[in-house]
Amino acid sequence: MNHPEEMKALFGVSEEDLKRLVSIALSNGGDYADLYFEHSISNELTLRDSEINGAGTHIDYGVGIRVLSGEKTGYAYTEITTMKEMERAARTASAIASDPGRNIGPLNLSLKDFPKRYKAFVPWADKSVSDRIPFLREMDSLVFSADSRVNKVMARISDSNTNILFYNSDGVFATDERPMCSVAVTCIMKADGVTENGSASRSFRSGFEMLTGELIKELADEVVSKTSMQFGALRPSGGEMPVVMGSGSSGILLHEAIGHAFEADFNRLGTSIFSDKLGKKICSSDISVVDDGTIFANRGSISFDDEGIESQKTYMVKDGILNSYLHDRISAEYYKTSPTGNGRRESFRHMPLPRMRATYMEGGSAKESEIIASVKRGIFVDNFSNGQVQIGAGDFTFFVKSGYLIENGKLTSPVKDINIIGNGPEALADIVAVADNPVIDNGTWTCGKEQYCAVSCGMPTVLVNKLTVGGVN
Amino acid sequence: MFANLKETARRAMDTARKEGCQDVRVGSDMLIQSSFSVRNDKLDRLHQSTGSSLYLQLYVDGRYGYFSTNRTEEKELSSFIKNAVEATRLISYDPDRVLPQKELYFKGKEFDLKQFDNSYDLVTPEQKKEIAFSCAAEMFGKDKKVVSVNCEYGDSMEYYYMADTGGFEGEMKQTLFTISSECTVKDRGDARPEAWWYESSLMYDSLIKEGIGSKAMERALSRLNPRKMKSGKYNMVIENTVASRVVSPIISALNGSAIQQKNSFLEGKLGSRLFPDNLYFMDRPHIIGAEGSRFYDGEGIATKNLNIIEAGVINTYFINTYNSRKLGIPVTIEGPSVLSCSLGENFPSESSVNGVSEILGKMERGILVTGFNGGNTNSSSGDFSFGVQGFYFENGKILHPIKEMNVTGNIITLWNNVAHIGDDPRMTSRWLIPTLAFESVNFNGN
Repeated sequence: MNHPEEMKALFGVSEEDLKRLVSIALSNGGDYADLYFEHSISNELTLRDSEINGAGTHIDYGVGIRVLSGEKTGYAYTEITTMKEMERAARTASAIASDPGRNIGPLNLSLKDFPKRYKAFVPWADKSVSDRIPFLREMDSLVFSADSRVNKVMARISDSNTNILFYNSDGVFATDERPMCSVAVTCIMKADGVTENGSASRSFRSGFEMLTGELIKELADEVVSKTSMQFGALRPSGGEMPVVMGSGSSGILLHEAIGHAFEADFNRLGTSIFSDKLGKKICSSDISVVDDGTIFANRGSISFDDEGIESQKTYMVKDGILNSYLHDRISAEYYKTSPTGNGRRESFRHMPLPRMRATYMEGGSAKESEIIASVKRGIFVDNFSNGQVQIGAGDFTFFVKSGYLIENGKLTSPVKDINIIGNGPEALADIVAVADNPVIDNGTWTCGKEQYCAVSCGMPTVLVNKLTVGGVN
Repeated sequence: MFANLKETARRAMDTARKEGCQDVRVGSDMLIQSSFSVRNDKLDRLHQSTGSSLYLQLYVDGRYGYFSTNRTEEKELSSFIKNAVEATRLISYDPDRVLPQKELYFKGKEFDLKQFDNSYDLVTPEQKKEIAFSCAAEMFGKDKKVVSVNCEYGDSMEYYYMADTGGFEGEMKQTLFTISSECTVKDRGDARPEAWWYESSLMYDSLIKEGIGSKAMERALSRLNPRKMKSGKYNMVIENTVASRVVSPIISALNGSAIQQKNSFLEGKLGSRLFPDNLYFMDRPHIIGAEGSRFYDGEGIATKNLNIIEAGVINTYFINTYNSRKLGIPVTIEGPSVLSCSLGENFPSESSVNGVSEILGKMERGILVTGFNGGNTNSSSGDFSFGVQGFYFENGKILHPIKEMNVTGNIITLWNNVAHIGDDPRMTSRWLIPTLAFESVNFNGN
């Protein structure tokens, strides 16, 4: 469903209703108002103990009404889309402004057609639980048959379809249908009294066509490989050392070390360590870092953001220069620049904030093998679970599930379960080699800045001269 | 206001049974929230909302499904339930998916846990704004190093009704009032360390309304000029604001699902002495006025006082009905309500005669951890590695803040090195974990 008339029918509103609600929202003199209608259906199916032991469906429905007055925000939502309830919410949000005599003039409404960044070729609604079950059973069978140490397998298919109707006081009227699917598997292995676990996942904005035998095989192989590697892995001696970040999921470094600090709300408020760095050289000119919402079917992609701005590919760092922050409408107005399509929200219950989409570093010219060979003693990491950053102090961390020691230019003993900590600007400046193998990681990355938001990340192999590695002393 | 929620829930239960469910658990909630935030000296955000949802757990021919919706108009809800029952029928037969034994249910209210403030609606928007402005005024313009301040007043009222076809019926109401503050200050170079503080209370009159901004500013200013320490073994004191970080891996490892999936470093350890013989982890779910207090869990099973770790021995797992049948061990409770720990069997109170200052004085020198930055724990082994922020101290005196450091170890080993547990839990969270002190912990820095 993406036809505007179907969307209006779904939410029970006419164009006149939309205009009336925005008029009420601006009745106290707000500068801008928007309406964000959302209807989402999500399903999940779980496998445990080799049986499909749980199924679930969840429906969420409502409208969020936002009013901006300068940099101030008024926000209210309702789950009941009668005009009475929506007008009440609009009046609540309007209270952020305090100039009721202001004339807002007539409101326009014009359908805006944004380029589509995803499509469910086979809609999830057309497929039943029975259609999904064979993929989980196949996953279970493949993982168990791959390694005799496998003790338990847990797997899950989660899919959702979200219908959006958006209207704002600039007259932008747009609709969107946002599919999402995630497949995740966890494997527990036991050998000689030692238990180890590993996980693997894939997520795309796509329909049922995402579920293929190839995908299940790929995930099964990956989870077995990751879990196997845990046996015999040790913790290295801790402290400062060179870290080679493998291609793909090492993009978590960008997300934590610089991505959040480039979100313009932090910079507008002066609370980011990069607040005074716009236009300045912050790292090697070999480095360009992008936040991209336009990759087809990527987990972080959006056709338009949650305040009606077309998605785009934004160079945060271009040839070593801090080129752009990630803006929502408020920060763009503050910096007198255009929004970058980063105004995103978890749901109609939340106001939009500057958020990342797919954040990655473009490839360089070095070879991964040369980078590893250049390190006398350090670690190589390419399997992560989570990360965090202190925006103002700049200290960021990410947790390494597994990797390898590098000794005299060679990968040697496997390592596991170590936290790595660094300082964002220093770590970025400390990237001394960038390989020619950029990869976007398609795991189920979710960012937790005040609200949850689907993102992705990517990276070529890079060498960071010095990070602090957790370990034994 | 809440009668409609009950009626909708009961109607949904009837519909599900008519569609073929042998058993049903239904929940219905309503959450009303408001917040006012002030940035520096200006109102920045206001947010008000009311939301409600219906939750259904269906037991159909030995199969189980879980569903939720906020679309509760009769025709739409009936269709939703019909589809839900059909979907549930398609999954595997699992004889262990049943409702709890009736004798375990909470049978009725014994006394008032004082979770609900009847004056919730009497707090005016003007009062809420004034609190947020006053909080910000404690910081804004008070020190030239202050870059940005933010204060928020928030309140919420939540109602939850739950019933099942086994005869359980219960309802809970809770109000919560919170004031939070954040302060960012300018350090040397580009760094801008930040700090927060908050107070919360179930009752508006009990809410501490002053000193929250100044506390955040004091904490932010104390973080200027941090130093990275050399890697090595240090004593570690963890402030009560964040001490739950080293408790939660143990609680997660005691979860019945982790035990049943053999993904817990405490699997097979029930009854084993793994910790010092004076260590106690205790759940006291009926403390009047505590945020986590409750009479029953998510299955309707009555809560009771429980020693989770008793004299260093693993005394219980958290076992719900499903995992009980899978594992062949009795049902306990799905998880702790009001959790704390001590060296000795006394549940810590707010008395604070043994708080962070006293404990620092007993630990000679080491690192006081006031915040964690990322990190994780391996659920199979208990190995952990966390980023930390805090201060280096000697002879009870804080000398300087630290930066870019990790703490790494094994959670069982860590707790075997516990030296002191304070009696100063903050009453502003569901878990009441006091200041903790451990000896000889691995820190990684230079």
